[in-house]
Amino acid sequence: MIIFENINKTYSPNSFALKDISFKIDPHEFVSIVGKSGAGKTTLIKLLLREENPTSGKIFFEEQDISAIKLGNLPNFRQKFGAVFQDYRLLLNKTVFENVAYAMEVMGGTDFEIFRDVPRLLEIVGIEEKADNFPQELSGGEKQRTAIARALAIRPQIIIADEPTGNLDPYHSKDIINLLKKIHELGTTVILSTHDKGVINGLKRRVITLREGEIVRDEQRGRFIL
Amino acid sequence: MFTFLRRTIRFGWHNFWREGSLNAATVFILTVTISLISFLFVAQGGVKHLIGQIQDKIDISVYLNSNLTQEEVLMVQEKLMQMSEVQDVSIVSKEDALAEFEEKHQNDFILLESLDVVGTNPFYGSLNIRATRPDQYAAILSVLNSSTMENIIHKVDYVEKKTVIEKLSKFISNVNAIGLFLAITLGLVGALVTFNTIRVAIYDSGKEISVMRLVGASNRLIKGPFVVQGIIAGAIATFISFTILFLTTYFLGNRIEALTNGFNLFVWFSAHAIGLFFIQFVSGISLSVVSSLIAIRRYLKA
Repeated sequence: MIIFENINKTYSPNSFALKDISFKIDPHEFVSIVGKSGAGKTTLIKLLLREENPTSGKIFFEEQDISAIKLGNLPNFRQKFGAVFQDYRLLLNKTVFENVAYAMEVMGGTDFEIFRDVPRLLEIVGIEEKADNFPQELSGGEKQRTAIARALAIRPQIIIADEPTGNLDPYHSKDIINLLKKIHELGTTVILSTHDKGVINGLKRRVITLREGEIVRDEQRGRFIL
Repeated sequence: MFTFLRRTIRFGWHNFWREGSLNAATVFILTVTISLISFLFVAQGGVKHLIGQIQDKIDISVYLNSNLTQEEVLMVQEKLMQMSEVQDVSIVSKEDALAEFEEKHQNDFILLESLDVVGTNPFYGSLNIRATRPDQYAAILSVLNSSTMENIIHKVDYVEKKTVIEKLSKFISNVNAIGLFLAITLGLVGALVTFNTIRVAIYDSGKEISVMRLVGASNRLIKGPFVVQGIIAGAIATFISFTILFLTTYFLGNRIEALTNGFNLFVWFSAHAIGLFFIQFVSGISLSVVSSLIAIRRYLKA
């Protein structure tokens, strides 16, 4: 489904963000990418979402070289991913309902579909009573649940979660990871980037470990070892 | 398409009201810029009125030989009227000239008695010529000096008035040039300030735009609400500017009329209200929409 082929990414001649990265992710996998801060996890996700281009190497999504996607087709490409970030990246001028609805509106969803699906999604992530609140009126956990509901709204093939528990306390972190596990069980591929040891060891799923931009470990039932 | 339009308008409307303070700043700057442009138009109207009044006072007199018949005088008048440079030609007969002199000097008995001593009407009939523009008198003069007019014209008083005409002509062209320079400079400054205000507002939305792109929104769907916001801001600024202009001209109309010898601001405003509103509306909306589109471009690359 996703293939990273000899990916290098440099921001200046002497600083490698990623060095000769190659791996493959199959459909319906739950893959965690771990590493210290600055190991290259976020860069890897930025490359996958085509926020940036690799310096060399190729990334394939469903056999398509994503570097070759034209600018005008990027929105369609990105609509296949549901993205969840540490800083939530919610639209601050929209309510919880509108944030989730926006993702569906972008996809061309009808008003009927929006009013049918958004309340269900908010119910799944447990924030239906916050539908009319703005992001600044929510706790960190509620913001992240909104972000997950938004990611699910487009029925993505893949959920990419970049440090989704980074700003949350252990209680809310566990909630968010349980939500991601539930989403995975429903058939969605999940890519989770984190440096939370407890989260990784509790998952018992595939772990790719990065150190200074290089893959140092790729295990099917991995543990958090840096 | 209808759904896209409806959603774009809704997003723009929400953004406008929910980002109240930033948009209030944009509306304020737009109002100042539009008002500035409008007042330049009003000032131009006033200056035109004053220049017109000055121009009306400039003319040259062509004194005709006393042996000309009425038909010959009319023929000369008609010939001059055919020139594009000539705005008006009025005939002053010998009798009119005498009557005017007597009226002007009715209290100066010595002068009036001297007329009796002469015994006949010493005045020449004349044509008072007013040019379309003061700088055109030289061209009119060259026609008057042609050989066909030699036996008709006794004297032209252009030489006496030449200095005054040239000074006034220079003054008028200077006023026009300064007016144009001021209009362009102030218009540019206003446009740049507006552009920068909108750029700051959009810079503030930069993070939101990147989120929209990540969610997969097309450039069209990202740009659309900003255009709607620009239209709303432009329309509100137009309404405010128009109201300010209406109130200013209404309350200052009479005072300015007294100062400018007949230029009533409110009458001028009433006569040009539709055109002014159109200029304000077009300049307000185009300024904010174009500024928004330029400012947003950098966030839509890649």
